[in-house]
Amino acid sequence: MDHFPTNWGRPRNDAFDAYGTYPIHQRPQNGPKDAFVDGVQRTQQPIVTGTSVLAIKFKDGIMMAADTLASYGSLARFKDVQRLFPVGDNTVIGAGGDMSDFQYIQTLLDGLTIDEFTAQDGHTLGPAEIHEYLAQVMYARRSKMNPLWNALLVGGVKDGKKFLAFVDLLGTTYSASTLATGYGAHIAQPLLRKAVEGYENVLTEEQALKIIETNMKVLFYRDARSLNKYQVAIITEQGVRISESKTLDTHWSFAEGIRGYGAQTQ
Amino acid sequence: MTSIGTGYDLSASTYSPDGRIFQVEYANKAVENSGTAIGLKVKHGVVLAVEKLVHSKLLVPEANRRIQTIDRHIGLATAGLLADGRHLSNRARDEAANYRETYNSPAPLKDVADRLGLYVQAYTLYSSVRPFGISTILGAVDQDGPALYVVEPSGVFFGYNGAAVGKGRQLAKTELEKLKLSELSMREAVLEAARIIYLVHDDAKEKDFELEISWIGPDSGNLHVHVPKDLFDEAEAKAKAALETFE
Amino acid sequence: MPAMVSTSQPVQQSFNPYTENGGTILAIAGADFSVIAGDTRQSEGYSIQTRYAPKVFRLTDKAVLAVNGFAADGNMFVKKVRQRLEWYRHAHAKDMPIRAIARLIQTMLYARRFFPFYVYNILGGIEEDGTGAVYSFDPVGSYEREACRAAGAAQSLVQPFLDNQIYFKNQTPAPGTAFPKHLPLSTVLPLVIDSFTSATERHIEVGDGLEIYIVLSKGSTALQGLQTVRGVQELTATNDGERVFVIRRELKKD
Repeated sequence: MDHFPTNWGRPRNDAFDAYGTYPIHQRPQNGPKDAFVDGVQRTQQPIVTGTSVLAIKFKDGIMMAADTLASYGSLARFKDVQRLFPVGDNTVIGAGGDMSDFQYIQTLLDGLTIDEFTAQDGHTLGPAEIHEYLAQVMYARRSKMNPLWNALLVGGVKDGKKFLAFVDLLGTTYSASTLATGYGAHIAQPLLRKAVEGYENVLTEEQALKIIETNMKVLFYRDARSLNKYQVAIITEQGVRISESKTLDTHWSFAEGIRGYGAQTQ
Repeated sequence: MTSIGTGYDLSASTYSPDGRIFQVEYANKAVENSGTAIGLKVKHGVVLAVEKLVHSKLLVPEANRRIQTIDRHIGLATAGLLADGRHLSNRARDEAANYRETYNSPAPLKDVADRLGLYVQAYTLYSSVRPFGISTILGAVDQDGPALYVVEPSGVFFGYNGAAVGKGRQLAKTELEKLKLSELSMREAVLEAARIIYLVHDDAKEKDFELEISWIGPDSGNLHVHVPKDLFDEAEAKAKAALETFE
Repeated sequence: MPAMVSTSQPVQQSFNPYTENGGTILAIAGADFSVIAGDTRQSEGYSIQTRYAPKVFRLTDKAVLAVNGFAADGNMFVKKVRQRLEWYRHAHAKDMPIRAIARLIQTMLYARRFFPFYVYNILGGIEEDGTGAVYSFDPVGSYEREACRAAGAAQSLVQPFLDNQIYFKNQTPAPGTAFPKHLPLSTVLPLVIDSFTSATERHIEVGDGLEIYIVLSKGSTALQGLQTVRGVQELTATNDGERVFVIRRELKKD
C-alpha cells in the first residue's frame, strides 16, 4: 500500500515527467551536491580528556568518584572540571574520555529530562532508562563512524533497586557491583572487587567512602593524567548528593629513597 | 453580527472595508465560550488557575488538563479550543527548548511570549488557515523574577500583574483588581485563585466543573507544577466556604 | 624495525567501530531436545569487564539464541530479532517457527554485509516436527542446520571435543554395533559442563559463570531426568507444549 496520497492514480516515470505530476518527495535529486562532504570532520580522537571514574555499590545505594582534571594530552589543562553529572532525582553519570563530547551528552540529557518533566504524566526516568538511552545514543554514533569519545558510568537508585552500569564509545554495555573506566579499570578495579564483592548490601556509607578514597589515592599515585582533587557522588533512595571537591592527602617522602632512575647518579 | 453575509468574514486574509479581520474576532468568540482561566503574578511567584467545564460525567477526573508545562520554569493555561491549546503548548515547548539550545540558559518568558505571538499572528495572514481559537496565559519565574503574559488570537501579547480570559473574565478581572497582588504570598495567591474561579463559575448555566491550579516559585522549587493535593483541597474547601458567605 | 621518525606520509589513525568481548557459546541438538549454553564473562583484552553478561537469550518457547563476538553488536542484534518476532506475533498470533527465525537471522545479518554485525550466532530449539535443532551462522549470514556447534573464543578447544563426543569422529564402534545418531540429555548435559570447565582451564577469556538453556519438545522423555538436576529453573511462557529450562553453574573466576 502506498501511504502517500499524492502518488495515487498518477503516472510515474523516473526519466521524464512531462506534466510535473511526479510527487515532489520522490523526485530524483538533481540539485547541486554538497561540495564539502569530503571535508566533514568527525571525532577521530579525543582532545581534552578526563581520566578514570570509579563507582561501587554499597548498602544504601551507589557511590561514584572522579577527579576534576581535564587534560590536553600530557598538559593538565583544566583543573576544576566536573565529571559527575546528576540526571533527575535518582541518577548520576560520570565520564572519562573527551570532555566536549561529555558536555554535549549533558545537553542531550538536559533536553531529555525537560521533555519528561513537561509531559507531567507522573513518570520519571530512573538510572536504568538513562543508561539504555545513552547506550542507544553511543551505539548509534559509533555506527555512523562518528563516536562520542567517552566511557560513562551510570549509577542510581530507584524504587528500592540499585543500578550501576557502563557504556562506552562503541556502545558496549555491562553491569557489575564495582566499575571503573580508563586507567582505573586496570589499577582500581581489582582492589574495588576485593573490597566490595559480596558486601554490596553490608558496606556502610562511611566504609564505602573509605574504599573510594583509598582507590582515588592509588590512582593519583600511579596515573600520570590524574589530579589530587576529586568529587564523590552518593546516590540513595533519598536522592543525589555530589560533594564539593576534596583534596587527597598524599606523601612523597619515600621518593627521596628511590634510586635507579631519574636524575640521581647514585 | 453585521459582518455576516457581507463576505468579508470568510477568510483571515481579507479585511472588511473598515479595517477589521472578522475571522480573528470570531476566534475571540471561541475564547469567550470557554471556561475561565486566570493568572496571578505575586511577590515571589505565579499562580495559574482554570475552570475546566466538564461536559460529561464519564470523563476521567484530571484528564484533558488545560494547564500545561512548557519548561521547568514555564506554565501555560489556555481558554478556548482545547486542541488548539495542545498545539500551541507543543510549539511553546519547542521554542523554549530552542532558546536553551541556542543560549544554554532557560528562556525568559518574554522571549517565549514573543515567539508564540509571532506564531499565532502568522495564522491571521492566510486564507488557507484559521486563527487560533484560544487566549493563552503564560506564567514563569525567570531571571527577572515572576512574569505573566497573555497571547490573544490576533497574535498580540501583553504583560500583566493579573490576567483573566474566557467566559468569566470580566468578574474575575474586577476581583483581581481588588487584590494587592504584589504583596501576596504564593499560598495566599493559590487560595485567592481558587476563590475567584469558584466565584465566576455560573452554576445556573453551566454543568459541572473541575478546578485546576498550578504554581511556580520558591514554594514549588522554582518548577512549574500543579499544586500539592493538601493545598489544593484546602483552597477548594475555602473557596466553597467563601461562596456560601458571599451569597 | 620501525623508524623513530616517520619519513613517509602521516598516517590517519581511524576509528575502529569493533572490539572482541571474548566468551564461548555452544549448542547441541538431541532427538527431541536442544541444549544451548554460554559462559557469562565479558572481557576486553586482559580486562574482565563483568562476570555476568548473558550471551544466551530465550526468544520464544521453542527457540533460544546464543550470540558471541562484539557484545554491543550482539545486544543490538538480539534486540532487533526480538522486535521482529514480536511483530510476527502481532501479525500471525503465534510464535515464529525456528526454521523461519533462522532464515530471518540470515536476512538480517546479510542486510549488513558491508558493515557487519561482528557476532557469531547459534540458534537452538525445536522444529515444527518436534525434532531438536541447532542452526549456526557466520557474521554475514551464511548458515546451516547441524547437530552441534561451538563458537567464540574457545571454539578451537571445544569443537574438536564435540566432534569426538557427539559425532564420534576418530572413534570406531565395537564390532557388530553402531554409534547412536542422537544422544540422550543425560549424556549431553555433562558434555556441555565439561566443555566449559575445560575451556575455562585453558582459555583466559572463558569463565565466571555458565548458563545452559534446554528446550524440550512436546512430551519429551528427557523431562524426568531434567527435573532432578540441581537448580534447574523453568522459563516456559506459553501452553504450546515446548518447554524451556535454564541451569546456572559457577565457573572458575581466575
